[in-house]
Amino acid sequence: MSIEVKDLSFRYGKIVALDGVTMKLSEGAVGLLGPNGAGKSTLLRILLGFLVPERGEGKVLDYDIRRDLAMIRRSVGYMPESDCFIAGMDAVTFTAYFGELSGMPRQEAMKRAHEVLFYVGLGEARYRLLDTYSAGMKQRLKLAQALVHDPKILFLDEPTSNLDPNGRNDILELIRDISTNKSIQVLLSSHILADIESICGSVVILNKGRLAAEGRMADLRAINYSLFELRLKGDGEAFRKDLESLGCRVDEMEDRLIKIYMPEKSDRMDIFRAASRTGVQIRYFVKSQTSLEDLFAGVVGVD
Amino acid sequence: MATIREKGYSHWAGTLCERRYPWWPITRTGIRLAFRKKAFKFVFAMAFVPSFFFLASIYISERLEDFKALVRSREALISVTPKYFNEFFTLPFFLFLIILVLAFAAAGLISDDLKHNSLQLYFSRPLHKKDYLLGKMSVVFFFVLIITALPGLVFIIFKLIFAGSFKFFLDYPWLPLSILGYSAFLAVFFAFYVLLLSASSKNTRYVTILIFATYFFSDILFGILYETFRKPAMALFSIRANLQQVGAFLFGQKPRYAVPAVWSFIVLAGICVLSAVILSRKTRSVEVIK
Repeated sequence: MSIEVKDLSFRYGKIVALDGVTMKLSEGAVGLLGPNGAGKSTLLRILLGFLVPERGEGKVLDYDIRRDLAMIRRSVGYMPESDCFIAGMDAVTFTAYFGELSGMPRQEAMKRAHEVLFYVGLGEARYRLLDTYSAGMKQRLKLAQALVHDPKILFLDEPTSNLDPNGRNDILELIRDISTNKSIQVLLSSHILADIESICGSVVILNKGRLAAEGRMADLRAINYSLFELRLKGDGEAFRKDLESLGCRVDEMEDRLIKIYMPEKSDRMDIFRAASRTGVQIRYFVKSQTSLEDLFAGVVGVD
Repeated sequence: MATIREKGYSHWAGTLCERRYPWWPITRTGIRLAFRKKAFKFVFAMAFVPSFFFLASIYISERLEDFKALVRSREALISVTPKYFNEFFTLPFFLFLIILVLAFAAAGLISDDLKHNSLQLYFSRPLHKKDYLLGKMSVVFFFVLIITALPGLVFIIFKLIFAGSFKFFLDYPWLPLSILGYSAFLAVFFAFYVLLLSASSKNTRYVTILIFATYFFSDILFGILYETFRKPAMALFSIRANLQQVGAFLFGQKPRYAVPAVWSFIVLAGICVLSAVILSRKTRSVEVIK
């Protein structure tokens, strides 16, 4: 296991950010998913030693998060959520600077800075002052500084925030390449479900500081529930209450499409029986493939 | 936005090493960034103007016969003794020039990092808070020492060269230590002073103003309190006066104000301690709002 935490808790004053999170993350790209304020960034910051957990323990690549901070920071590349750069510097100097601070020899850091800047697509702009960079370029730059010392794990905190669709695709393409072809493990924190769905093999879902779900994406989709989509004619409210009494979760979408998350052991015929009991007509019925969005809605709630 | 042209990521074959001085890249970068500002180069050059005048005076002091007409009325000025060095190091204009240099070179040392959120990048590296602060402080040390210790030692060397004997050195063998001691004291004090103010705001211009304003306000306060109470102890309110008191003590001169130099030392040391506490709280990788 590359990352392992046990009973991890942290609070900002009275606000509980993490509450007894226990998990083991496997190799490959792992998504850290959750709504804003779920504790994703706090977890990354604890793993990096920025914050000291109130309770619990954890290991990153077998290094203890309380004792072996220097080793963890040598092995991890961190791409923060917010824009961060040093005014008056160009990209090569900036990237080499952080390579050097990671422990690379100066010449090597400079050489490596050129390589990673080309890799992230900033090769031609590498001598431009960072103050003149666009939002997308700053995102790439943050990725470059995270990669410069060739980390074993990358912590990416909302890597596609503030990006236009093209920029987002470019960054996702890079992350996909890093995680699949370069044998670097990626821990991708995001509240954008599609990003995680397109890159990660496994996912950890946090909600209100607690672990809501964890596992391989395919397994999570399969084990929890069956998803059905339908359209009705008639009193939907009574139908909904009937299904909820059977343990189903019913969400009505904006286009009046109704999604029913049904416990896996239940029988789909229960839906038709409920319709019959409440006197509604089912005009459309399809068993849907569960997406991460559905999984997320199932464990966190659509609101 | 540039397209991704090359996918040639390759793993780095080297080994990350533990640096003996992890703060050194921070210092080197801070110094280089300061010299990238055009205005700073001019200000930095200006800071050596008093040194050139004092150096010229040392030359004249050894060639009094040649400069009789020039120095007739200012003979006291060019008597090169420890007092002469004390005059140089505690000259209000000289102290102002140090402040000016630091306002350009060091105001943004921490405030820029706060503004652009780069502290989290520093601390995601195997870097301790003390390494970060030492790296930033060393930028101030560099500039202060180069303006103070370097000319001071050059004065002694040139005095010996112009005199053609070691008499001056034998008369005052402790003088190089005084120069180094006072320069180090100035460097440490100004490092804490400037970094404290730099960490107080994300706006570098505001910090620049604060650096000047705090220095001059303390002087004005001293003036007002002295006029009101007529007590020399009011000099303790002035940064400049306190620096002059400590300088006079280290150069073996009578203090300007009738206050023990140790009190001034305690006041300045207190500012440094306060600064250290605040810097320790302000510089962290995550801004935790409770």
